[in-house]
Amino acid sequence: MLDPVMFTGGVYKHDLVTELIEDLGGYLLQKNVTQSEIILLMLVPHEDMPVLEALTKELRGKLERAPLAGTEIAVVTPTLAIHHLPHPACDVAEYLRRHGAKSNMIGMGRGVAREIAQMDEYETALINEHDAVVFTFGNFVDCIIKKEHLYRSLTVPVIVTGGPEMKKEDLPYAFEYVPNVGRIAHRSRKATEIGSLDNIVAAAGRALDSVRAQISKDPLTTTPPRVMEVVREQVPDIMQSHSPLPIALNLNGLRIKLPYDEYHEAVTGVKFDEGVTLGEIAKVLPSRMKNYILVRILPMSETGFVV
Amino acid sequence: MEMDPLEVFKVEMPGEDYGAEKYREIIMDILQDLGLIRSIGRLYVYVDIKTPYFAVYGMIRGKQPPLTVGDVGDLLEAEGGYQITVDDEEHMSNLIRVLWGTYGRENVEQPDRNVLVVLSDESPKDLVVADLETEFKRDLMDALVRIAPEGFRNRRNEMGKDSFFFLAAEETIKPELLSEAKEKLGGMRDA
Repeated sequence: MLDPVMFTGGVYKHDLVTELIEDLGGYLLQKNVTQSEIILLMLVPHEDMPVLEALTKELRGKLERAPLAGTEIAVVTPTLAIHHLPHPACDVAEYLRRHGAKSNMIGMGRGVAREIAQMDEYETALINEHDAVVFTFGNFVDCIIKKEHLYRSLTVPVIVTGGPEMKKEDLPYAFEYVPNVGRIAHRSRKATEIGSLDNIVAAAGRALDSVRAQISKDPLTTTPPRVMEVVREQVPDIMQSHSPLPIALNLNGLRIKLPYDEYHEAVTGVKFDEGVTLGEIAKVLPSRMKNYILVRILPMSETGFVV
Repeated sequence: MEMDPLEVFKVEMPGEDYGAEKYREIIMDILQDLGLIRSIGRLYVYVDIKTPYFAVYGMIRGKQPPLTVGDVGDLLEAEGGYQITVDDEEHMSNLIRVLWGTYGRENVEQPDRNVLVVLSDESPKDLVVADLETEFKRDLMDALVRIAPEGFRNRRNEMGKDSFFFLAAEETIKPELLSEAKEKLGGMRDA
C-alpha cells in the first residue's frame, strides 16, 4: 500500500529525500523547484512513513498527505472568457493542485448559454482521458439542470459545482454536486468560500475512490507508477521534455509527453524485469492532448497475469 | 437630479433567489473594479431565465463636464506664451496631444516632466483635454457586457442623457421582448 504525500522544504539536501524514497521502493511523481523552495510529490510505502517523517523533521521540511496525488482532474468552464475566469475556475484548479492532483483547465468551445450550449466529440474524448472532472457552472438552478447534456456522455465521474443548493435527484448524471461556488467576480478568500473549495476536494476524493474501487475488482496488470519508472529508465529522452510534469499519472495508465509519431514504438517496446514489454500489457495510443502518448494499462482479465 | 451613489439597487429574478443575491455581488464587484459605482444613482436589474433575457435600467448620477486645460493644471502667462504645470499626470498624454493638435508640435515645449510651455498668444485655458462623459459611457458598456451572463450574445442598449437601458438575450431580440423587458423594469421603478 503506497501513501501519497507532499514534501515541502528547502532545496538544500532535498536529494536525501529522493534517495530515501528510491531506497524504500516508493516513487517520486513530481518535483517542483521554486527558487530555494522545493515541492516533491511522492508515493511512499505505508509502513515506511515514520522513516520519511523523521528525515523531514531533520530537514525542517513539511510533510502532508496529498490524497489526490497521481491523478489527473479536469476543470471545465463554459468558455475561457472573463465571465468564468479567473475566478472561480482558477481557485478550484489551484486548490486541487495543492492537494496533489494534476489539474488541467479546459474551456469549452461552445459551452455557454442555456439553450445553445453543446460539447463536441473531441472535448468529450479529451475529458475522458482524465480520472475525474469538475464542471464549474453558474448561479441559476434552471441553467444547471439544462446543461446536463454536456456531461451525460462522459465516462469519468463528474463533479458539478454551482451556486444554489440543489437536490441530488435533480442531477442524476453527476457523481456529486457541490453548492456555493457559482459565478463570482472576486477571489475566494472568505472562510465559507474556502470551505466550498474543501468540499470540492473531498468530492473529488470520493469520486477517485469510486474509480479505484472499480479498478480493484479487476486489477491492472501493473501499476502506473511502475510503468513511469521503466519509461524514465528506458526512454531517456523524456528527461528533455519541457513540460513541468513529463509523465502524468492516471489511475489506469499515464500520459507521456513526447511526440506520438517519433516515440510510440520506443514506449511500446520498454521491457519490464519479468520479461514482458509494455505493448503486451497496455494499449499505447495517441493522446487527445497535443501529440502526446497515452498509455492505458490492461486489466488482469485481459492479460491473465500481474507483473 | 440629486442622488446618492446607488441609492436604489434592485435585482429581480423570478424563481432564482440565490441567483439574484449572487448577481448583486457580481454587479457590485464589477462596478467597483471599473470605478463606476459613484456615477450610478439607481440600478434595476430584471432577469427572466426561462425566456431567457437579462435587462438592466440605470440612472446616471450627475453630469460630468468635459475636462479643460484649466482643470488639469495651473496656467501661468509667461514670456511669449503660457506655462502649464500639471500635478496629476493622469491626463498628461491627452493634454500633450491636444496642445500639439492646436498649436503644432514646434510650438509646444516640455522643459520638465510636469511642465509644458505653449508658444502662442492664445490662452489654452478652455481647450478640452478629456471627454469624461464618453469615457464613462464606454466603461459602462464594458461593465454591462461583463455582468450579463456570457451566453446572452444578442445585446441591445439605449444610452440616454441621464439613464441607460441594456438588454441581453440568447435568441434574437424581437420588439415584443424589448417591450416586455421595459415593462418589467418600469414596474420595478414604480414599485
